[in-house]
Amino acid sequence: MLKNDIPVIKLRWAAWGLAILLLAGGLLAYILFGGFNLGVDFESGLSQRIRIAPVGIEVTYDGTQDVVLSISSTALSIEMRGDAGVKVTSLRFADYPSAADLVTALNAMSGITATAVDGSLKSSTLLSGYGFPATLGESAVKLNFQGSKGTSIDEVRKALDVIGNAKVQTVGSVESSTFQIRFGIKDGSTQASLEDEVKGALAAYFGSGNVVVLQSDYIGPKFSKNLVSSSVLAIAVAMGLILIYVWFRFRFAYAISSLVTLTHDVLAMLTMITLLRMEFSSTTIAALLTIIGYSLNNTIVIFDRVRENMEINKNATLASQIDKAVTQSMSRTVMSALTTLLAIVPLAIFASGDIRLFSISMIFGLVFGTYSSNFLAPTLFYWISEAQDKSKKKKTT
Amino acid sequence: MNKRSRLLIVLVVVLLCGYFLYPTIKWYGFVPQQTKELATGSNVQIKEYARGQASRDLRDLKELVASDANAALPSQYSFLKESAKATYKATKRSVPKNWTVQALLGGFYSEQALFDAIESYYRTSLLNTKALGNKALQLGLDLRGGMSILLEADTAAYEAKKGSSASASEINTAIRQDIEILENRIDQFGVSEPVIRLQGNDQILIEIPGAADPERVNSFLRGKGSLVFKMVDTDLTAELDAYYKANPSEVYTDTGALKQPAFLPAGKIAAGYYVSDDYGIDELERYVVINEEVGLDGTHLESATTGTDGITGRPVVNFHLDNLGGDIFYKLTSTNVGKTLAVVMDGKVKAMATINEGIRNSVQISGFNAAEANDLAIVLRTAALPIELIVSSQQAVGATLGEDAVAIGMKAIILGFALVVLIMFAYYNVSGLVADLALLLNLFIMLSVLSAFNFTVTLTSIAGLILTLGMAVDTNVIIYERIKEERRAGKSDIAAIKAGFDKAFWTVMDANITTIIAALVLSQLGSSSVKGFANTLAIGIVSSVFTALFVSHLIFDAAITDREGKKLLISWRKN
Repeated sequence: MLKNDIPVIKLRWAAWGLAILLLAGGLLAYILFGGFNLGVDFESGLSQRIRIAPVGIEVTYDGTQDVVLSISSTALSIEMRGDAGVKVTSLRFADYPSAADLVTALNAMSGITATAVDGSLKSSTLLSGYGFPATLGESAVKLNFQGSKGTSIDEVRKALDVIGNAKVQTVGSVESSTFQIRFGIKDGSTQASLEDEVKGALAAYFGSGNVVVLQSDYIGPKFSKNLVSSSVLAIAVAMGLILIYVWFRFRFAYAISSLVTLTHDVLAMLTMITLLRMEFSSTTIAALLTIIGYSLNNTIVIFDRVRENMEINKNATLASQIDKAVTQSMSRTVMSALTTLLAIVPLAIFASGDIRLFSISMIFGLVFGTYSSNFLAPTLFYWISEAQDKSKKKKTT
Repeated sequence: MNKRSRLLIVLVVVLLCGYFLYPTIKWYGFVPQQTKELATGSNVQIKEYARGQASRDLRDLKELVASDANAALPSQYSFLKESAKATYKATKRSVPKNWTVQALLGGFYSEQALFDAIESYYRTSLLNTKALGNKALQLGLDLRGGMSILLEADTAAYEAKKGSSASASEINTAIRQDIEILENRIDQFGVSEPVIRLQGNDQILIEIPGAADPERVNSFLRGKGSLVFKMVDTDLTAELDAYYKANPSEVYTDTGALKQPAFLPAGKIAAGYYVSDDYGIDELERYVVINEEVGLDGTHLESATTGTDGITGRPVVNFHLDNLGGDIFYKLTSTNVGKTLAVVMDGKVKAMATINEGIRNSVQISGFNAAEANDLAIVLRTAALPIELIVSSQQAVGATLGEDAVAIGMKAIILGFALVVLIMFAYYNVSGLVADLALLLNLFIMLSVLSAFNFTVTLTSIAGLILTLGMAVDTNVIIYERIKEERRAGKSDIAAIKAGFDKAFWTVMDANITTIIAALVLSQLGSSSVKGFANTLAIGIVSSVFTALFVSHLIFDAAITDREGKKLLISWRKN
């Protein structure tokens, strides 16, 4: 327990100065970078994550069962589904270290014919992508392996030159030869025609089958527009209703302060997203919403305490009441922030992809949310209350 | 409220949640991997498997009886005893005491009956498992991998074809027909079953979990079902019927396909006449022999509707052919008056009708009930969608990509959860454990409600889950800090607990009500991924308020308030 109250009101100018500085930085970055790094959800077009990788094995199947081939990080599995039920055979890479070993093992299975294109490739570098798990049949399923030499981004750009207006980004290290490519929608093009065009262009340059599509997203123009407008509308309506509730339960000064605080939290997170060039996607929206919920909760708890203190001791100054309320809530604030952080930090460290992106945004949001509900919301409330008092006094005199 | 009724409420909630969570626990914990893989197959695959198993079991049983009729019945066939017993009773024979193979076979009227019983056993058990899997909490596509496609009705093309503007309800009707057709195409699609549903007024959302082979998805969306008209050979059909009846184990190959008997001349093939049964599987009605030669190709079909015959009032199916199709059809029907015509879809006979006269473009067939007529109209329409669909968005996640991410994500979540549980104990002593218990109960309630509403767990709903668990801890923290404060102010343990819960009540309510307002608005207005977040959050808020204000309170009351002199352990320090 703290001996003295935290001088929140005294620090009000510094607190707001810091917040405004950060937001100004965000605005500057926004202008400099030319907007957000919008994810495919928000920008209509085709976005694919591709990897240039040589074909090592070709597999065909000739038989009556349904045979599915899948690849995980440790093994290649064959699932045979027939009248005898399902039989799964896993070829662990530890047991079959090279492509040639896999080919031998695959050929031993009834009906499966495998040919080694390059038997020397390491099994552990086998890639799985779009189209996997693959159903085996007469036409060959090609298995790609991580190549030994990296592909430069210029080569990919050159390959896609025929289509035009492609955005290409390297993902990970150069050796991984993984790229994120993005196309806007041209008039009259559909998802299928765009996909075919990209596939054709890449096959023409790198050779057929040597490109693995890891992920493919297509967003039509109407969809992305809907996503933005529905999210904005939803957040606006939610904030409006919260304003009414807090107004009704507390007072107008509390309501408007908590809403301004929430706006700050959203803007501060957007600032971090812009500064760090993180992708703005549906995941970001989820993180924004989470922080709005969290920060609102925090602010209400502190306001509740302010209100309670004012009822108990009507003679103390507003500034001291606010300082006291923040201080009283401090151990709760720290515990809550700490427990939530503990839940999220492992995700930010160990998880990958969207979940990681979400967790990192959340950690920033948590910091901003805690900061704003302890320093921004109470001080804003102080200003508004003071202003209201002054105008009241003017009216009465 | 007294403590007993409070305890009762808690127990009822826990039991109810347990009931809803049961399928999920059973599916993930107790169904063997092998059975899961079988059950996640399409209905057609399940059927093939059941038939293949039945053929083999029947053959084995026959071999057994031939080698030693009095051998004891192997235990794997004991599921047949029940229906054999029923037959013995129905025929007023005494039920055998010792089940030998001979005795079991005596309990079936025919080989066919035995075959049906075995097939039905395998089918029902797998379909039940499949139903269980559908009730279990499933991961969303973004985590599990798969493909989600949003299709939109091409209203402009529809209006252009029609020549006038179309009303919203007209588009809606057309798109509902599209959905029916797409659902019918599922059968051809294989492996796992996609979810197809209407979104808004003119959009269709298709979600295909797991294996997302884009080629096959596209063929499924665009693919015209291979619909043809073929002539039926009535004499050979009768012969085939007799043959199959005499040799039930000769009907199917081991893979469950129909065996082509040797006596059929070239150009004639045996096919099954199928009617959709209650399971949604095409149930075999009987066998017919049809010409291999195609009478008329389904591509000539322009439209198909259902109606009622003006005179008899019986349901009929009307369909229109294009001009070339009309010529072919006239030639076919006028030379085959009095014979039977079959509508064949993917090798299965879907409908048969007797030709009364030569027919051109406009065809009417009758001779079935309303449901059958409707089914046939759908089959006929499958040749073309009433309203064309445009891909509005298509997103695919490699299944293995998702799998690895989920495995690591789960570990991270468990680690985070364990850390929270530890720090609560470290900071709040035994009371921290009460909060941990409330947290676990909260997680349990949330999962069961999610499962009861059949929501899928997506990335955004995990976000909601984390926020809610955070809020649940927070609710306890607010109360505990308050109790400690009251104690510091000089109150006794019992008084501090009472004051703590009372004073924290409105703080907790205000904080949670404002958040639930946001959650409810988002669940109504948000896009689908935001909805997942909002639904989880709304459920979580209600359950966290319940666990903290009701359950924790009850535990404190039971442990301290009502037991004179018991010390409250809410911190490791003195205060």
